[in-house]
Amino acid sequence: MIKQGSGPATGSKWFMPLFSLGLGVAILTASWIGGHPGLGLYGLGVMAGCGLLLLAGGRSETIRGLRGDGRDERFAQIDLRATAFSGLAVIVALIVAWLVQVASGHSGRPYDWLLATAGLAYLLAIVLLRWRR
Amino acid sequence: MKNNVRALRAQRNLAQGQLADAMGVSRQTINSIENDRYTPSLPLAIALARYFGVPVEEMFDDQAR
Repeated sequence: MIKQGSGPATGSKWFMPLFSLGLGVAILTASWIGGHPGLGLYGLGVMAGCGLLLLAGGRSETIRGLRGDGRDERFAQIDLRATAFSGLAVIVALIVAWLVQVASGHSGRPYDWLLATAGLAYLLAIVLLRWRR
Repeated sequence: MKNNVRALRAQRNLAQGQLADAMGVSRQTINSIENDRYTPSLPLAIALARYFGVPVEEMFDDQAR
């Protein structure tokens, strides 16, 4: 039921900015271990910038929706469709990359197991969601 | 789906933001409902109908084009 008088359903406005920063630190760490600290610092800067943008853009519905603290049922539906679209885009890109690899005489790795993961995850989600609903 | 949320809101001199706060959604969601761009969930449709004191089927018209 709709909770009245509370404004849009809210999450913490800090989660996504801190997640962005955490991802930036992970990029820096991985790049540092891989011998490319400059690339890591660049990645950290980009992700910290994204985090700051999310934190500072509180007046925009899009920013608040992405951040989580301005998310209601309509934005949740938008988010679901956007997630499905991005998943579809990745799968199409993987199929194209796999075909190019195979046509070039290669094995198709690692695109084959990535595609298999996507297919299995989709089937698993269908089975679980159908069971739950 | 066609609806008369805008008319009911106007009758009560409510701003979209006030109705949005009462319903626990964003002002943009109320705007989208009023412009028939977004069909609300059943819980939100019932909450809107209860708020305005009208039956749901009076507020939303699935026959209108």
